[in-house]
Amino acid sequence: MSDLQLLALHGLAVRSAGSPKAVAVLLGREPDEVQQALEAEVGNGRAVGAKGTFMVTPQGRAWLDEQYPQVFGALREDVDVLAAADRFERVNRDLLALLTDWQSMPAGGERVPNTHTDADYDRAILDRLGDLHDRAAKVLDRLSSAEPRLEHYVQRLDTAYDKALAGETDFVSGVRVDSYHVVWHQMHEDLLRMLGRQRQE
Amino acid sequence: MAPDARGPAAHARPAEAGVTATVAVERVVLLDGSVALGKDVLGGKAWGIVRMRRLGLPVPGAFVLPVTECHRYHENGRQLDDETWQAVLEGLRRLEQETGRRLGDPAAPLLVSVRSGAPVSMPGMMDTVLNLGMTDEVERTLAQVSGDPDFACDTHTRFCSQFGRIVLGADVDAPGPGSDAERTRAEIRGDCGRDVPRDPLEQLRQAISAVFDSWRSRRAVAYRKHWGISEEGGTAVTVQAMVFGNLGEGSGTGVFFTRDPLTGAAEPYGEWLPGGQGEDVVSGTHAVQTLAHLAAQLPDVHAELLSIGRTLEREHGDVQDIEFTVERGRLFLLQARAAKRSPAAAVRTAVDFAEAGAVDRATALRRVTPEQVSSVLQPRLAGGADSAEVLSRAEPACPGVASGVVVTDSEAAAAAAAEGRDVVLVRPTTSPEDITGMIAARAVVTELGGSTSHAAVVTRALGRPCVVGAGSGATAGWSGREVTVDATKGVVYAGRLPTEAVRVEDDPSLSRLLEWAREASPVQVVEEPEDGTRDLDAAGVALAADEAPDRSRIVEAIAGNRSVRGSILACPAGADAVLDSGVRTVVTCPGQPPLVLLLHLLHADARRREAAA
Repeated sequence: MSDLQLLALHGLAVRSAGSPKAVAVLLGREPDEVQQALEAEVGNGRAVGAKGTFMVTPQGRAWLDEQYPQVFGALREDVDVLAAADRFERVNRDLLALLTDWQSMPAGGERVPNTHTDADYDRAILDRLGDLHDRAAKVLDRLSSAEPRLEHYVQRLDTAYDKALAGETDFVSGVRVDSYHVVWHQMHEDLLRMLGRQRQE
Repeated sequence: MAPDARGPAAHARPAEAGVTATVAVERVVLLDGSVALGKDVLGGKAWGIVRMRRLGLPVPGAFVLPVTECHRYHENGRQLDDETWQAVLEGLRRLEQETGRRLGDPAAPLLVSVRSGAPVSMPGMMDTVLNLGMTDEVERTLAQVSGDPDFACDTHTRFCSQFGRIVLGADVDAPGPGSDAERTRAEIRGDCGRDVPRDPLEQLRQAISAVFDSWRSRRAVAYRKHWGISEEGGTAVTVQAMVFGNLGEGSGTGVFFTRDPLTGAAEPYGEWLPGGQGEDVVSGTHAVQTLAHLAAQLPDVHAELLSIGRTLEREHGDVQDIEFTVERGRLFLLQARAAKRSPAAAVRTAVDFAEAGAVDRATALRRVTPEQVSSVLQPRLAGGADSAEVLSRAEPACPGVASGVVVTDSEAAAAAAAEGRDVVLVRPTTSPEDITGMIAARAVVTELGGSTSHAAVVTRALGRPCVVGAGSGATAGWSGREVTVDATKGVVYAGRLPTEAVRVEDDPSLSRLLEWAREASPVQVVEEPEDGTRDLDAAGVALAADEAPDRSRIVEAIAGNRSVRGSILACPAGADAVLDSGVRTVVTCPGQPPLVLLLHLLHADARRREAAA
């Protein structure tokens, strides 16, 4: 069993289902090697694959839960990592509030859907997202110095913010593209799994 | 050498300003309504003030350092030169004359706001700093005049915090209850090693410099690069006198919509906060009154406000959202802009303005988005829901109504939906692995989280009705039951309740809009399929769960056909593909309102014209 096999299965679990390419993006690895690792996991009964899409099996989930405390034991005891993860939760709350402001806007004391017809409103939120992106970068620096793999998320967040700034508004909270929220949501899940924490909502 | 060929001298005001003022006109422009300069020189903010002044509207006094000064500042190695600073002082003197107050004078303090104003607004530019000129002495005066020492302390503290964050770049939290200016100053010093200046003129100088600096912020540079905006321009700096809604009798602040932003009805709508300051209304921490209270309390001000609303609606041909402050019975406009509105109000007001001849039909059609029409046409619960069993009342996160069988596992939800069953996904919370299930479900309910939870953000992005925060354990035993989710009200009912569709022909505004859209559309939209209609759903070209629709793939699938249909056509990429491929007719699919398809096509057409221009 190679480290990549565990990581590939972990990456698949973060997304639930996906192609080797999608998991490779998450891990910052090559699609070919991820494909091999996932196929090996299919052989172990921890994943199933059809039409190029893989899924974690219930055995696979149980096995991952068993492995996590050992594989990520050092991270779970690193006070810097835990402090950064706490800070991440704070930034997370601000991000979710910001995304809500992006998706809906105040009109006469109520909130109505934002249909992105008010360019000034959108630009002001993109500006706030930029501030939050800067704050997040500080937190993620601390996390990725302990777990360098997380730097790939930072690059994906950079790309998403850059595209949003360039007018591709779907890259803020869209679900069909690698939007800021999609990347963030995956990173959050990744972090929760590594640290053995529960989502707080 | 400055590459700006216009040069500052070209913008000098007419000679009436006098010889001594000529210098000031070049470096600093007083915004008194006689200004003949354009947005490219004054920046958006100052230009807006000039326009309002020209309409004779009461706007607090202001002056601007034009865009050309930004250039000079950077040429000078990020320094305001003496001549410009003298001009700023002259502008300030004029504001002091106009208001009868002086910056830093405890007896009659003038406070000002400083904001950036590029000709094109962009992210990365410095925000507004309010209440410049605050000092310990001014705080004492303000406490006396307003009779409210807490308020004076709060204003001072907020000024320090804002100045620290925006001008000095300190990363400090917004001041909480019990903080004061001294403590906030110390926090800022601790974070960034710089002090909030105690001298009002130094505050002004630093704020102006910070605006000019922000022109070259990383984010602003990136934005200009993306949008092809020249680096050689700059931003203007607008300095405006603050007015106070908290100065005793006959003062207050409010927001006024020229029409109801929720229904679109042509009735004034707004909020009034006697004794409040601008940000108090926005913060939602104070109990506000309706405009009827303003009418009772200050009838002249109310009448003036309504009259201003009519003037601005005429000028802009759209519903206005006006922020105003009343200082001792005198009305001031702080900001006026096109009002944000509900989908229903968007439809109604666009049609009303066009029918009144205030805008043309093409403009009316541009003002309504396909999403707004979809939202208005969403089915609602039919009468009789009142007697249905309520399983849960929780927080609405994304509006809409849908029914289905409760499934508590995302993979199972996706599988059931693939078999054509209507499912409602019910989860404690959602994580990324639930996204496929959320896409497959008709509605989503979560036990935990509020309107900003992950589930709420994802369902809004998908347009799925969603109710959040039903309570831990509240959904136990729901699995396998049929439920109806009214995510507009936040109620989950037992059973499958009847819904009723909103019919275009029953709504006069929607009917008019449909008629105009049919006339204007370059492509026909019909409901009866013609012979030889290419069916994209049957051909397997459909919206994917986790992939953005690809225009070129749709073009490939429909090229050479006169008539097409497909669920993927009701999106911007679908409409672009139809126009690109020369298709003449689009046939609706079940659940695809013609007006939605038509608006997609019209908006795609407008985008192409704009790109070509």
